[in-house]
Amino acid sequence: MEFFKKFGLAALAGIGILAALIFYSLNIPQKRSANFIERGVMTVFAPVMKPAARVSGFFENAWDNYLNLVGVRQENLRMRDEIKGLNARIIAAGETAVANQRLEKLLGMKNTIKTPGLTVSVVGEDLSSWFRTVVIDHGSSSGIAEGMAVVAADGVVGQIVKVASTSSRILLLTDHASGIAATIQRSRARGVVKGKGEGLCSLEFTTREEDVKVGDVVVTSGIGGVFLKGIPIGEVTMVKRGEYGIFQTVIIKPYVRLSHLEEALVVLRVPND
Amino acid sequence: MIRGIALIFGLVLALVIQTSILPVHVVAPFKPDLLLVAMVFLALRGPAVQGALLAWTLGLIKDVFSGLYLGLNAFTFLIIFLVIQSISDLLYAESGELFVVTVGAATLACVSADMILLLMLTSTPGIGYSMLAGLLPHLLANAFAASLVTLLPVFSSPQEVL
Repeated sequence: MEFFKKFGLAALAGIGILAALIFYSLNIPQKRSANFIERGVMTVFAPVMKPAARVSGFFENAWDNYLNLVGVRQENLRMRDEIKGLNARIIAAGETAVANQRLEKLLGMKNTIKTPGLTVSVVGEDLSSWFRTVVIDHGSSSGIAEGMAVVAADGVVGQIVKVASTSSRILLLTDHASGIAATIQRSRARGVVKGKGEGLCSLEFTTREEDVKVGDVVVTSGIGGVFLKGIPIGEVTMVKRGEYGIFQTVIIKPYVRLSHLEEALVVLRVPND
Repeated sequence: MIRGIALIFGLVLALVIQTSILPVHVVAPFKPDLLLVAMVFLALRGPAVQGALLAWTLGLIKDVFSGLYLGLNAFTFLIIFLVIQSISDLLYAESGELFVVTVGAATLACVSADMILLLMLTSTPGIGYSMLAGLLPHLLANAFAASLVTLLPVFSSPQEVL
């Protein structure tokens, strides 16, 4: 009795461990299939485990979402700034590409003319609706003087009329006061291109007998010494010969889109120089 | 003094808007003449002598940035100013509607006077057609600009502008 009191607990533990070992060793051959104990426990706990897993999943998601949300606002603001910056860069890149194309064409014209030229930008337009002049960003300090010819990549723009030290005004070829000595490239018929105000010009003083057709190219004749010979002005869009009169009516559409003019080339050559 | 500086600032702003901002966004016939609107405002609400000088100066500034003929608008602005000024005592100058109508009448007078002077003194025969063709849109644009001016606080003030 004294023995059991002294070693009973240890003996019970030893028997328990031995029983557990025997139980384990007996189940080894059936390791793949569940025995009745396993099936029983699983059956009992199955209805509880499913909702518990859902609840656990809910809390897991909530925690994850909370952790994610902590930095989302800051990240959102940062990304919006990044998008704005990238959009601005895309627009600037597009604008640069277009400006590059325009300037490349202008450079081509500059090389064709073979006279010193100054590239200028249009910074303002005429206050009135019926005069056609534009203000450019260079003046006498850059060597510009009254009477100098102004061209763009596609052809004639006009003539310098008013010069200040850092700005000047160009009289566009569509202004009523503008007159440029011109010739029809195909037939060499001569005349004076006068502005009509509404984005068009007319070829004046061309006699009825002269050969002028719709689609003919009009170029500068070089007479007068303002413009060099052979610079394109525009294309003939209408020819009308009345029953009477000495001259024919010839309407010309300028090659240069004067309403969208941004850069031009001032030919640094004083007329009759 | 402060009102004078504010007026000069407003006129410079109007000039910059008209030369560099409006042409980009507004097609040519619908460009309002902000200097003309300012001149009519001066004629209705400003003193005679300083106003006349300022009206002539406004016309001169317009000529610097418009066309080839320095003095053309200076002359017409002065004449229109003097006409409006001479009858301004008979008019209810604080009325917004009257201001819009006066700007319309001044626009018609300015275009007519400019056209007569150009046809008489310059060799630009086709300009009359261009001016007549653009008259109605120009008139509407000026009337619209005048109606906007009536919304400014300076218009509601009963004091003279200078």
